[in-house]
Amino acid sequence: MNNSNWLIRREFWENRAIWMIPAALGGLLLLAALFTQVSIPRLTSQQQSEEAAAAFLVVVGAMFYLVMALYAAWYLLDCLYTDRKDRSILFWKSLPVSDATTVLCKLLVGMIIIPLVYFAAANVTALIAAFILSIRARASIGSSLWNGDVWWQIQVLWVYVIVTTAVWYLPVAGWLMLLSAWAKRAVILWAILPPLLLNIFERLFFGTHVVSQIIGRRLTALPQVSFHFSKYMWTNEGGVVDNASGAPVPSVWHLINPSGFFTSAETWIGAAIGIVFIVAAIQLRMRRSEI
Amino acid sequence: MAALIEARDLTKKYGAHVALDRANLKVEAGRIVGLIGPNGAGKTSALRAILGLTHYEGQLTVLGREPFRERTQLMNECCFIADVAVLPSWLRVDQAIDFVAGVHPRFRRDRATAFLAKTQITGKRRMRELSKGMKTQVHLALTMAIDAKLLVLDEPTLGLDILARRAFYDALVNDYMDETRTILITTHQVEEVENLLTDVIFIDKGRIVLDSSLEDVATRFTAVAVTAARLDAARAEKPFYERHILGKVVLYFENVDPGKLEGFGEIHTPSVSDLFVAKLSGGAA
Repeated sequence: MNNSNWLIRREFWENRAIWMIPAALGGLLLLAALFTQVSIPRLTSQQQSEEAAAAFLVVVGAMFYLVMALYAAWYLLDCLYTDRKDRSILFWKSLPVSDATTVLCKLLVGMIIIPLVYFAAANVTALIAAFILSIRARASIGSSLWNGDVWWQIQVLWVYVIVTTAVWYLPVAGWLMLLSAWAKRAVILWAILPPLLLNIFERLFFGTHVVSQIIGRRLTALPQVSFHFSKYMWTNEGGVVDNASGAPVPSVWHLINPSGFFTSAETWIGAAIGIVFIVAAIQLRMRRSEI
Repeated sequence: MAALIEARDLTKKYGAHVALDRANLKVEAGRIVGLIGPNGAGKTSALRAILGLTHYEGQLTVLGREPFRERTQLMNECCFIADVAVLPSWLRVDQAIDFVAGVHPRFRRDRATAFLAKTQITGKRRMRELSKGMKTQVHLALTMAIDAKLLVLDEPTLGLDILARRAFYDALVNDYMDETRTILITTHQVEEVENLLTDVIFIDKGRIVLDSSLEDVATRFTAVAVTAARLDAARAEKPFYERHILGKVVLYFENVDPGKLEGFGEIHTPSVSDLFVAKLSGGAA
């Protein structure tokens, strides 16, 4: 436990981008809030103001989530490779820390801790941006952009998205770490090439595209599996309404679908494959010390 | 007392290439052992196996443990400096001390800071800002502050200038070594370490050519500088190596009574480096 603590701290020392990128993104969004034109329509009803607040928080959150996903993927692909490349692995391995602990801590950083950092950054950014926009608009819009209830719902949404993302993308993370522990060079190429070649091979010789379907679904189907998106849809105004009745969704609790996500065989088959990849990455870490 | 390191039929293959070929060796506690061999002889493979960094065939115990399976526990009592370049460039000196203090139960922070206080190195410096010699000092400070039974050094002074090398070995002998510790050093620069070793192990083409204490070396090996007139008579005693220098011939004998050789010329015990050359240059003349 104590060791994990130090290993995680070490990742922050090495990868200062973990907090510098979200800080830079937050700074950019705040500059935009300060200097771009604000044209929020005057909101009259309670429903409209809640929708505006939700849309604002979701848009800010989505930006952070997208950047986070890209950075986390890069981090996982790089984390078992750089110290082999610069041979510093020989220093880390001279200390009484097991390879399993090392690999699992890096996985934890990539899948939970980095998302939490972005979550915090998104919250701080949204808070300050809402404040700035309220002052600039000098109207009731401002108060509507900061709706406490909506804010709490967004917190629930973030936690739910972090957890489901970690479980759903475990095979992807495992694959990236496996390559990171294995490749002698060009990790990005190795991460992309095998699935791509498998896909082309399948198409040429069998005329099917099962591989691309499986991979495509894994990369894009998370919202579909973890939310009730068949029942609800986004409106142009940024609200979410019931498909059938057109009524707004009462709260985030109606939108998320944890029981569906956590009972889906697809979720757990993927997670099992992810665990196999990670065990393999640990084994490689034990055997491959240098490039 | 049981040996600290004991290898029997230690074998390591990389595909078709055999890096270690049924090597047997033994290291006792309290010794400073030089593992000496030419480049590509299997030194590094042997060390990697001893440190649990690689899988191997054959039997190997280090401090009573199986290195590959029990590397984590082994590293509580054993430390190693692979070579000078391995501290990561982004690491700060104070972070390095914090980290090792955090994960190593036998690390004594005061010792590391006391050692560094004698140098020009401050805590906020990053490894990338330090010279090779300074990095070695940091690594040595970290390592010497660990109360370990076994210290393994793999080409520790590679790329260092003569001053830094001397400082490294002086610190090692004066501040670190005592009867409870054992040091295993690999190097291909024999001259540099021969004055501090108590034991030598010669390795060549994956096999152990010699494993002996220096006291035994002195009784086992004899070198005689023979004049041309007596050469044939001396050769009859079967030297295993001949070296021609400045008109003289030096003959090297193993397990031959020095009394028998006295008449042939000036007798001396070969230095480690001479013996290394003699042993590895192959068959008798």
